[in-house]
Amino acid sequence: MTIKTVLSVVCDAGPIIHLDELGCLFLLNDFDQVLIASQVWQEVTHHRPGALRNSDLSFQRVNVNICSIPTFQSVVSSLSLDIGEQAALTLMQGYPDAIFLTDDAAARLAAVTLGYRVHGTIGILLRAIRREQKTKYDVIAILRNLAHQSTLHIRPQLIQEIIERLEKEQ
Amino acid sequence: MSKAQTTVIQTEIPISLIAQAQKLVDAGWFRDIDDLFSDALRRFLESHREDLLEEFIRQDVEWGLAGDD
Repeated sequence: MTIKTVLSVVCDAGPIIHLDELGCLFLLNDFDQVLIASQVWQEVTHHRPGALRNSDLSFQRVNVNICSIPTFQSVVSSLSLDIGEQAALTLMQGYPDAIFLTDDAAARLAAVTLGYRVHGTIGILLRAIRREQKTKYDVIAILRNLAHQSTLHIRPQLIQEIIERLEKEQ
Repeated sequence: MSKAQTTVIQTEIPISLIAQAQKLVDAGWFRDIDDLFSDALRRFLESHREDLLEEFIRQDVEWGLAGDD
């Protein structure tokens, strides 16, 4: 078993929903802190009511007042980010060394623009091999079922490329 | 300026979503519902370019497999 990292993550709704659909939400337990803005928490509860009820998960719900600084507002407005995404990015301001987890391209673009590290569900799934939470065969099976088992939209050929790369990995 | 060519599509949309959209139209933020949908779709496509989506996934693959955290 690997030692838990000291890394914190701030989650947008997408990765929580997608990882839960794939039965992999527990992978986030590997992080020291999993921070979820209240607005995101509500969004997840609305779309995937059972996801955050699992008692094995130690996620922290954080009340967030959305940042009103003009540069921040300019970035989030120009990319038409929703309230949850704005709240999650506001939360990142308090944890600039954390990783922002999102599967939304616009939110990811905003986070990069604001100088944050960003990853998504695919990154968490593949990291699980490196962190010995899953075998590569487990992850290949998950990737093969991704389109049927989750609402994460990825071009099938790209998924196939990832699977082929995993198959070649030692 | 010449008007862009248009086409008609039929799609299913959640009632709550269309209600929110109609509210914006009623408040005068958009000329009509067609105008709102065109704007929403244009903005979505601007931030969801295919090359960008692909680049993000590839970054995730590299981090997932070869990152150090």
